[in-house]
Amino acid sequence: MAISHENIERYFEEPAVVCCLTEAGTIIGPENLEEPEILPELQSGGFLQLPSNVLKIKEVLGKRLKKTLQPLTPVTPDLIEEELSSACKVEKQNIVSAFNTSEHNSPIRVSIGEGKNITFEIPTSLLQFFPQQHQVEEKEKIKRVLTLREYEIKKVQWADRISIQDGVLMLKKDIVNEISSIDPIVKKVSIDVIEPDKRDIFTNTILDVIPIATKVEGKIGEGITNILKGVVVILTGVDEDGVQIHEFGSCEGILSQKIKFGRPGCPDEDDIIIRVDVVIERRTGMERRGPYAAHKVCDVFIQQIREVLKTKSASEASSIKELVEVDKKGRPRVVIVKEIMGQGAMHDNIILPNEPCGVLGGRCNVDLGNVPVVLSSNEVLDGAIHALTCVGPATKETTRHYIREPLVELLRADNDLNLVGVVFVGSPQANQEKLYVSERLGMLIEAMGVEGAIVTTEGFGNNHIDFAWHIEQIGKRGIPVVGVTFAGVQGSLIVGNKYMDAMVELNKNEEGIESEILAENTLCPEDARRALAMLKTKMSGGKILPPFSKWDPAVIEKNQSLVDRV
Amino acid sequence: MVTNWVIEGIRSEVYVPVVPEPVFTPLTKDLKDCVVALVTAAGVHLKSQKPFNLAGDFSYREIPGDTPSSELMVTHGGYDNTDVNKDINCMFPIDRLRELAQEGFIRGVAKIHIGFMGGGGNTQKFTEETGPAIARLLKETGVDAAVLTAGCGTCHRSAVIVQRAIEREGIPTVIIAALPPVAKHQGAPRIVAPKVPIGANAGEPNNVNMQKAILKDALLALKSINRFGEVIELPYEYRARI
Repeated sequence: MAISHENIERYFEEPAVVCCLTEAGTIIGPENLEEPEILPELQSGGFLQLPSNVLKIKEVLGKRLKKTLQPLTPVTPDLIEEELSSACKVEKQNIVSAFNTSEHNSPIRVSIGEGKNITFEIPTSLLQFFPQQHQVEEKEKIKRVLTLREYEIKKVQWADRISIQDGVLMLKKDIVNEISSIDPIVKKVSIDVIEPDKRDIFTNTILDVIPIATKVEGKIGEGITNILKGVVVILTGVDEDGVQIHEFGSCEGILSQKIKFGRPGCPDEDDIIIRVDVVIERRTGMERRGPYAAHKVCDVFIQQIREVLKTKSASEASSIKELVEVDKKGRPRVVIVKEIMGQGAMHDNIILPNEPCGVLGGRCNVDLGNVPVVLSSNEVLDGAIHALTCVGPATKETTRHYIREPLVELLRADNDLNLVGVVFVGSPQANQEKLYVSERLGMLIEAMGVEGAIVTTEGFGNNHIDFAWHIEQIGKRGIPVVGVTFAGVQGSLIVGNKYMDAMVELNKNEEGIESEILAENTLCPEDARRALAMLKTKMSGGKILPPFSKWDPAVIEKNQSLVDRV
Repeated sequence: MVTNWVIEGIRSEVYVPVVPEPVFTPLTKDLKDCVVALVTAAGVHLKSQKPFNLAGDFSYREIPGDTPSSELMVTHGGYDNTDVNKDINCMFPIDRLRELAQEGFIRGVAKIHIGFMGGGGNTQKFTEETGPAIARLLKETGVDAAVLTAGCGTCHRSAVIVQRAIEREGIPTVIIAALPPVAKHQGAPRIVAPKVPIGANAGEPNNVNMQKAILKDALLALKSINRFGEVIELPYEYRARI
């Protein structure tokens, strides 16, 4: 990554290595030079050898290149012209000293005796000292408002019809018969209610955790949503041969032991669980149609509750929240990129269903070709993503995870930054499609004009290819970028690049593995705080120390204490 | 930019890997004199054998060279199984290999082929135990060259660990990679890359011509690639309908 102009003086004594293809005739500036901190790693990886006569950064700044240099070429005396015209050189120093004085109103004089093709580099950080012709309007602008009416449920019981009254949710007794024949792949559906103190029971593997919410007014992200609190649906299942519907690891077993209660994507400690358990056609668990059918049937069940929930008035709500999405004008624009799966089977997500956290009406990420889709933060927190959820249970981001996404919540609340959107981008099956999608993401980010980005991914393995490319696409445009993923031991990265220098680890398992406990290794509020701190550090030109060569929980603890102290 | 945002001493938490040291064994025989083995990380095994543990498994299954492809199946969670359920040859092109042997393109099909499940993959176990064990087995059964395939991303990593062990044992190898960046970054000696999704590395299901062309080109790459880590892009494209 190129050196930022603000940082250049720190690196005057370090070796000069060009970061990118640099053409003959270029006058070398910070943007042409590789950040010195990553040079040792490049050397140890065999990507770079520094000759003994490599010049220092202070010796090459302002010098003209004689030859076109390939990326990562050390600059040696034979590659640069001796001197620019002396007049130019002197004035360059004057500029630096003028900017370094505290007399911001003193004039900058540039006088050039003679010379041609002279370029002046002025650090953008110094622009603040100039009077602005167009004052940036600092006023905040409201983009959209979502009213979230919450209805507390204390009991779930069976009755002849569905109702929600005085904290009691009544479910229809024969509902199972009505929904069992919706999809021929689904062979059997069972529904039961699990009280918080009765969780020591067997469960099949958990496909998803789904809040019960419905639109009363407007589209997802604005208007009014009614949502039930204190109760959540879990979808579980097997195929006809008793094979768990899962891919990398499954979490069947004693329910109380298989869930990290309280994680953003899990039931909370005191939630009542409505369990929808399905049996699907044999050997369809690892084909796209199998899990999708299970989700569809579950959604038809939830829709019946939604229809009743829709009729509940504001006066019956136990609490009402307003989610106001604001354009914080004048503050640095930042974006969150969430990589989701797009390879079929359970590697898929449904984007923007008709109902919050629903299935119907949404578009499958796979069918959209995995290209980046921009959502507003309000849309995300209003259930715009229905997760068919990927990889092992521990790294799954369930449907509930998205409506409580800690990074989205943290960044939109941060008053230093202007979160302009959340980009969802899929991870395709084929390598050339991965490249296509990543390049489109890069163009999108460029067009968004952001000054910082955080890229997250669920799961691990082949999605790390796209993840690394997304970070590269953003980083190579000079935009500070932070990566967030589970890696630990089992998910340690399979590829990498030089822009992945600020990474947040999501592993919380003692052995660093995908543990078969639901959501153990997913993004939590403390991870979001470290990611934000790294982004801000990078955005303001601070240093992020290089990682150790193996997963080390002490690094994360230390970072956490540094971050939480601020 | 505001500088009081800087948190001094904060450290990146995830290691970014670098390419390991080269390992390379040249192919000194002609292809027509070679006995070739298939080694796959894609979870292939006999229907009569114990399925792999999808949460990570470093064991391997020996697949006799005369096994009918109808007796094979896949247990692997890292990729959509739709294609491989239709035709095992798109990950384990055993029928195509037999045809090439009959045509005299190679001398023969190895007595024993290898299936394992590379998803997740305990890298230490694969490096220290599984890889060397598979390599020794191929050596003992007189294999001259090996062709590898792999499913998901971590699966490509496991496959390359085994590939490097085989190469170190003195047997030239080539991987048919759906994810060539992983294969290259993990230090695969030779890589061919048809334009295919993970799950159909060796070509579209039931497309005999494409599968045979990919396998043939992979075998030719054993000879034509003479430099560690080279990738040959193959001109075959298949888009899965999942």
